[in-house]
Amino acid sequence: MAGASVIDSYVGELDGRLRGPAAAKADLLAEARDSLDDAAERHRDHGLSAEEAERRAVEEFGPLTAVVPGYQGELAAAHAATMLRTLMVLIPLTNVVWELNRMFWIGPWPSFPGTPTPAWYKVVSQANGYVPWVITAGAAGSLLVGRLLSRRGVGGMALGRLAAAVAVTCVGFAIVLNLAVITGTAVLDAPRLLMPAPVMAATLLFYVVFFRVGLLAKRCLALSAV
Amino acid sequence: MKSDALRGHLDALLLATLDGGALHGYAIIEALQRRSGGALDLPTGTVYPALRRLERAGHVASEWSTVAGRRRRTYRLTGAGQRALSDERAAWREFTVAIEGVLGGGPWPEQA
Repeated sequence: MAGASVIDSYVGELDGRLRGPAAAKADLLAEARDSLDDAAERHRDHGLSAEEAERRAVEEFGPLTAVVPGYQGELAAAHAATMLRTLMVLIPLTNVVWELNRMFWIGPWPSFPGTPTPAWYKVVSQANGYVPWVITAGAAGSLLVGRLLSRRGVGGMALGRLAAAVAVTCVGFAIVLNLAVITGTAVLDAPRLLMPAPVMAATLLFYVVFFRVGLLAKRCLALSAV
Repeated sequence: MKSDALRGHLDALLLATLDGGALHGYAIIEALQRRSGGALDLPTGTVYPALRRLERAGHVASEWSTVAGRRRRTYRLTGAGQRALSDERAAWREFTVAIEGVLGGGPWPEQA
């Protein structure tokens, strides 16, 4: 970086080594930059030249190998918190959208033709109905556990991996139960699966959200492994 | 004093520097150096992620504000942070009394 100051170069290298949410990263880098400027100003006040003061400030800040893991951990934690909040809000919201569509376009589910509803189907469909709320509670609980683990000194990288595991488990669980209901319905009354287009679209929305959360979890793992 | 020796105590030290009131990051580092007579020698770049971790833990809260004409992120202790600091101080006193009892006071008399 021709013409860049020692601090500019250092902050630029730190920027290049960190990955994560843009706003959180900009915030961390702005604070690091402020700290380096403060330190350089102090050294200038003690008689060092501008360049030597910046060099000293950068030395005190620490080599990138010592500094990057802590910063990267915070970015991983920030991403993990966003992912869990997404899970906590989007899944129940999508469920409400689906249920409203179902009530408007289909109404109460009719009985299966010629056969009483099997007990296993009741269990699976009821469990499928509870899943969004279980996921919401799981995500909220994970945010709380993250805070408690932070109090015990657990770093952002470990929290990121934990959050990714929670998200993947929640989404996996939801997909398995949803597919179980679809399969069960196909066995008992296949034509019922041909739902009105708005309900089909709401079902598709569920899978879009699952896919989105899956991508967030994948990124969470990547950010926690740097 | 090297950073390895400080790692286990860094959270408590940071909380202690905020006991007197809100400070921005570099002022926290200066306070640590001043209160330790310059003995606390750790890369300043490791302090900021530690402050953010304390914020995640709910022990400190922070906000951007203008200090001496410049925008800086300022940290303050929360109620939970105050309680954590009290616990850390009590644990530290207990620890130093126990260690002083064993290591302090010079060589032990020979056992008969």
